[in-house]
Amino acid sequence: MGSDKEKDKIKILLVDDEQEFVNTLSERIQMREIGANVALNGEQALEFVDNEVPDVMVLDLRMPGIDGIEVLRRVKKQYPDVQVIILTGHGSEKDEEEARRLGAFDYLQKPVEVDTLVTRIRKAYKQQVESSFMAGTFAEAGEFDTAKKYMDKDKDKKKK
Amino acid sequence: MNPETEKTLTFFGKMTANLTHEVKNVLAIIQESAGLMEDITAICPLAEEKYQEKFNHSMATIKQQLHRGIDLTTQFNRFAHTPDRSSAELDLVDTVGQFCLLTGRFARLKHISLTAGDPDPANEKIRLTTNPVQFYMALFFSLESCLSALTSNTEIRVIPQKRGGQSPAIEFACTGEQIPPAGEFFQQLQAAEAWGELGDVIDPLAGKVECDTNDLRFWLIF
Repeated sequence: MGSDKEKDKIKILLVDDEQEFVNTLSERIQMREIGANVALNGEQALEFVDNEVPDVMVLDLRMPGIDGIEVLRRVKKQYPDVQVIILTGHGSEKDEEEARRLGAFDYLQKPVEVDTLVTRIRKAYKQQVESSFMAGTFAEAGEFDTAKKYMDKDKDKKKK
Repeated sequence: MNPETEKTLTFFGKMTANLTHEVKNVLAIIQESAGLMEDITAICPLAEEKYQEKFNHSMATIKQQLHRGIDLTTQFNRFAHTPDRSSAELDLVDTVGQFCLLTGRFARLKHISLTAGDPDPANEKIRLTTNPVQFYMALFFSLESCLSALTSNTEIRVIPQKRGGQSPAIEFACTGEQIPPAGEFFQQLQAAEAWGELGDVIDPLAGKVECDTNDLRFWLIF
């Protein structure tokens, strides 16, 4: 389990239209010292992100209204630093290819062991922090070309 | 495969994929609710130790059966997506594992064991670009043929491999104390309706069937 500091640091948003599932998952993640918020559809998720940008978003694909792929597309366009983990019960390879092409950090099949999900969330957060830190360090030192390289490298990693 | 058949398969694929998605949501809710109960009792155990033991035992059973259900629905969901593409690259080790999990019950009903055999470690990646639905049908008709030629307390092993180091192949090997003599086995196998259907389905896949009449095994070679 993580530390209290971590609870304050990582901000995650869980997006799923299965209310019972997402609320219980949120409680279990919070018991592991990670602060979790919940959105029950794509519209709520986009509204939430506009008000409070999370570090990591755990996103279902099949939802009524704006579906997960569209949420992913819009979030990565407006907030490219948000790491998105797809958690879906849908096993289509086409969806996985599309999600990864749009920049999803990971693609997990529902249901997943909570500790596996927490590990992936921490990994996604770590990658986001490292990239931002390296880019920031070089930018502060006036080495903008190197800073840009780190930002581009991060984008490439996400594409892969 | 004619366009009408393809449409029908796509329809059934969509319906079953949708259904397994729903079932996975149900399993996910059960898993998280059971997990939350477990998390809570880890922090705050029940007052009576004997009840705690019973609780833990029940929880272990729930988790075990959940994993079984999750495994089956995950594999079935992937299977339901096979009509999505008329041609796809299959990992034969994964595909055979999935096939054995989904069809194991057919064998169990006859007290025959069905297992996915380990491929030769030298051939870790065995891939085949083919029509996934027809490939599954070829595996299924092979299994049905074996089941019609075997009695109880025997074993069917399905082994992905590269035949002659080159061609992707699936071996069906039948073993066990109560296996029939090879001649009788192949006679029964070839008399089975499924064996004829295997012939019909393997031709369009540019595959062939090769039998080892001394050893109760045959290969689907692609």
